[in-house]
Amino acid sequence: MDLARYVADLKYLMPELALLAVAVAAMFAHLFGGRRGRRLAGYVALAGLCGALWLLAVTPTARGALYSGALTVDAFAQFIKLIVLLSALLTVLLTFRFFDVEGLESGEVYYLLLFAVIGMLFTASATDLITFYVSFELFAICSYILAGIFKKEIRSAEAGLKYFVLGALSSAIMVLGMALVYGVSGATAFSQIAGPALQADPRLFTLGMLLFFVGLLFKVAAVPFHMWTPDVYEGAPTPLVAFLSTAPKAVTFAVFIRLLATVFGALEAKWTPLLSLIAIVTMFWGNLAALTQQNLKRMLAYSSIAHAGYLLIGLAALSAGGSMAVLFYLFAYVCMNVAAFALILTIQKQGGFGERVEDLNGLARKSPLLAAGILVVLLALTGIPPTAGFIGKYYLLAAAVNRGLYALAVAGALNSVISLFYYFRIGRAMFMEADRPDCVLSVPVTVRAVLLLCVLALLYFGLFPALLTDCAALAALR
Amino acid sequence: MTILGLPILSLITFFPLLGMVIIMALPSARAGAIRWTANVTAGIEFLLTLLLLGGFQSSAAGMQFMEQKPWFLNIQYLMGIDGISLLLILLTSLLTFIATLSSWSAIQQRLKEYYAFMLLLEVGMIGVFVALDLILFYVFWEVMLVPMYFLIGIWGGEHKLYAAIKFFLYTLFGSVLMLVGILVLYRHYGTTNLLAMLASGSHLASSLQLWVFAAFFVGFAIKVPMFPFHTWLPDAHVEAPTAGSVILAGVLLKMGTYGFVRFSLPLFPEASRTCMPFIMVLALIAIIYGALVCLMQKDMKKLIAYSSVSHMGFVVLGIFAMTPLALKGAILQMVNHGISTGALFLIVGIVYERRHTRLIAEYGGLSARMPVYAAVFLIMTLSSIGLPGLNGFIGEFMILMGTLPINWLWTAIAAIGIILGAGYMLWLYQRVMFGKLENPANQVLADLNLRELCTFLPLIVMAFWIGLYPKPFLGILDQPVDNIVRLVQPAYGDRPVQAIKAAAAPGHAAPAGHEEP
Repeated sequence: MDLARYVADLKYLMPELALLAVAVAAMFAHLFGGRRGRRLAGYVALAGLCGALWLLAVTPTARGALYSGALTVDAFAQFIKLIVLLSALLTVLLTFRFFDVEGLESGEVYYLLLFAVIGMLFTASATDLITFYVSFELFAICSYILAGIFKKEIRSAEAGLKYFVLGALSSAIMVLGMALVYGVSGATAFSQIAGPALQADPRLFTLGMLLFFVGLLFKVAAVPFHMWTPDVYEGAPTPLVAFLSTAPKAVTFAVFIRLLATVFGALEAKWTPLLSLIAIVTMFWGNLAALTQQNLKRMLAYSSIAHAGYLLIGLAALSAGGSMAVLFYLFAYVCMNVAAFALILTIQKQGGFGERVEDLNGLARKSPLLAAGILVVLLALTGIPPTAGFIGKYYLLAAAVNRGLYALAVAGALNSVISLFYYFRIGRAMFMEADRPDCVLSVPVTVRAVLLLCVLALLYFGLFPALLTDCAALAALR
Repeated sequence: MTILGLPILSLITFFPLLGMVIIMALPSARAGAIRWTANVTAGIEFLLTLLLLGGFQSSAAGMQFMEQKPWFLNIQYLMGIDGISLLLILLTSLLTFIATLSSWSAIQQRLKEYYAFMLLLEVGMIGVFVALDLILFYVFWEVMLVPMYFLIGIWGGEHKLYAAIKFFLYTLFGSVLMLVGILVLYRHYGTTNLLAMLASGSHLASSLQLWVFAAFFVGFAIKVPMFPFHTWLPDAHVEAPTAGSVILAGVLLKMGTYGFVRFSLPLFPEASRTCMPFIMVLALIAIIYGALVCLMQKDMKKLIAYSSVSHMGFVVLGIFAMTPLALKGAILQMVNHGISTGALFLIVGIVYERRHTRLIAEYGGLSARMPVYAAVFLIMTLSSIGLPGLNGFIGEFMILMGTLPINWLWTAIAAIGIILGAGYMLWLYQRVMFGKLENPANQVLADLNLRELCTFLPLIVMAFWIGLYPKPFLGILDQPVDNIVRLVQPAYGDRPVQAIKAAAAPGHAAPAGHEEP
């Protein structure tokens, strides 16, 4: 309780603190660096993220909660932080490429991204309603701005506004839920809520839980709170969509698992059927809607909705197996989704990027290696071996089967088949269609590095998943 | 058994990858080098699989050449073969070699990708036959889909895109259901190791077993393909390039029936027995319906494709008769079908390459211009219709003999299928080869060249060998078939065929706990 211990506990928060310093440094670089300051801010952010990854690796996990139960630095949180940092790191690399082509580089992107990352890291550790909400909003507000930051594109402004209005609404509903939860329990620490709340008023507690879920389901883009996704993903700058479609999802799922495991653990009989239903509807909705999309970003938006559905399987079947499956799948998901958005950044067309499926026509002849890499990504997205996507899906379905939720498992499996149809429209365009001369392929070293990293990770953890499965099993909650 | 320090099963499974990597590293302009690399790789692979025969002991009861390593969590990298897998592996490597050789002049564009996919396909196919862990099996099973999709989609015919995605969607649909089934098994046994599952002696509860059996059944039945899951087959076969059709008919279809033998019967004995009449009826429908559709075809390749539906119906009939004789016949018939139908697709491919049409009406009287071709075609036609002295006869005869004690009516209906088979094949031969050579375009057709003849020779030799002296092949099958029958019909060993017949007959309360409607 004393000051000395508070200071000593800071050693568990090294990545967050370092990033905070880096974010401020990036801001100054942008402010005082003149014209070249914008890119300088980017380099600072890149270096900071690499440093944070290293710090994360050396940061020990803390036994028990820190700061009177406000934060927990356990293996679970560390795993999520790893995913977030990876996603941010890859995003920064892609952002360089995006502004090289589009121009109008905004240096704010880099430190807003860092602030968002800081918010996410804290959210992953949060075990108290207050710390959770503050850090949750920190990254939420940053992500609204990021979605709307590309001033040249009117769709970007629309995306930012839409994301903000709907996000604020869902946050408001979530706060109401939190207020109810606090009201019935009188506690804010996750570990102390359930007991008193169940004694005081289980029904009000359940209502609080449902309202709480709204905010979380909005963030992960689960049906029926998914409407914003296609518009935001289409309008926002592509590299930032790679970030927005992965990191917030990972963090929100982490909090979701924490809440289900602690606060709402006793209400399992209520949320299992509810989340099962939402998972099934989300998978089918996302995949069916993606079938007809011609714009790659919209297609990937619907596909990310479907992936939220797959991940919800793990939540509905929450157990050590379920949470381990979610962790593994999130890692694979970051790799495959970032790679998919990186693909868009390789096709140049009339001063912009080719965002339509047919812009990929004949890619296999332009660059067989790139096409082969993307093929791996498509297999992973569909959930076909030998990729990490398959292993992840295998664990999700296994979690459902082990809890006896057979319908959920079958629905998840069938959705793989539906998704195959649209993912392999990309495969078809690359390998089987005639070349398009108006689309120029250029793969600069940053994009190449991102793709290489993602594809190798997907293949390696598809063939030899032992390392990652062991880590995920170690980090699994409950 | 190891070669150069490498365990043989892993070696034969992954050896084609080596060729694939070399081909990918070659510049695409060097067509000759690419072709040679692919053919040499497939050839060496065939020789490597022949080495298996050296160490194989047909009298051994269990799996041989076992390899076991932990893979991840408690899923194992577990490989091993018995006589059934051995025959199918040899068939796979032989047909892949022949298919590669037959592509020499047929494939002119995007060689690199073509041969790379071909060799990757071989990895998947061999892997399916050696894997003994269900997840490992599933991985190979899926890995094979992708190259086949591209083989059809890039080098296929007019409607290749439609056929390719249809093939992919159908098979993936079946296999994901199987995946859920595997997970249920995992939950019950706590392992995905097939041998451990069988050794534990326990089985899923009856109702659950039926569901899981159904999940596996759909996966395998789509692959076979059984009526009514067969609709992808005519599209895929007709649109695929010749080599693709050869592999598709010769090997891929066998994976479905192999799955029935390896997994469905031993893991779900009760459900297998319960569903037996239902599956038998589906098999009979496939036999008769497939044959009737063949009679209607104008396109040679489509005719051969539908004949597969009919022939594979026989195989399923033999498998689910669950008597040693029928089961042995069914497995031999898998090999036979691979040989004869593979050869027939090559035969169609020969004239297609020369004339770019497969319509029967375009041909007629070819025997005058192409005598060697006519002889090869005739041998394979006769092999396909089951003429004594050729391979098809042995398999079909054993299946019918083995099914007869179970139900004479089923046997009789299946026999009609043989007659229809003779009808459509001989009619096809007559229309294409005999009569007057009227179409001027056919006047200049060249007979088989040496390379083309070489692709047929091994198949002809095998057709006669199995037809005249099948004993070595059946000897390999004795032990594994015995094991499987013992697992699925525990009562079989103690009682003669008559008792099984009584058990399967309607209205009998059999001591084995049979409940037939």
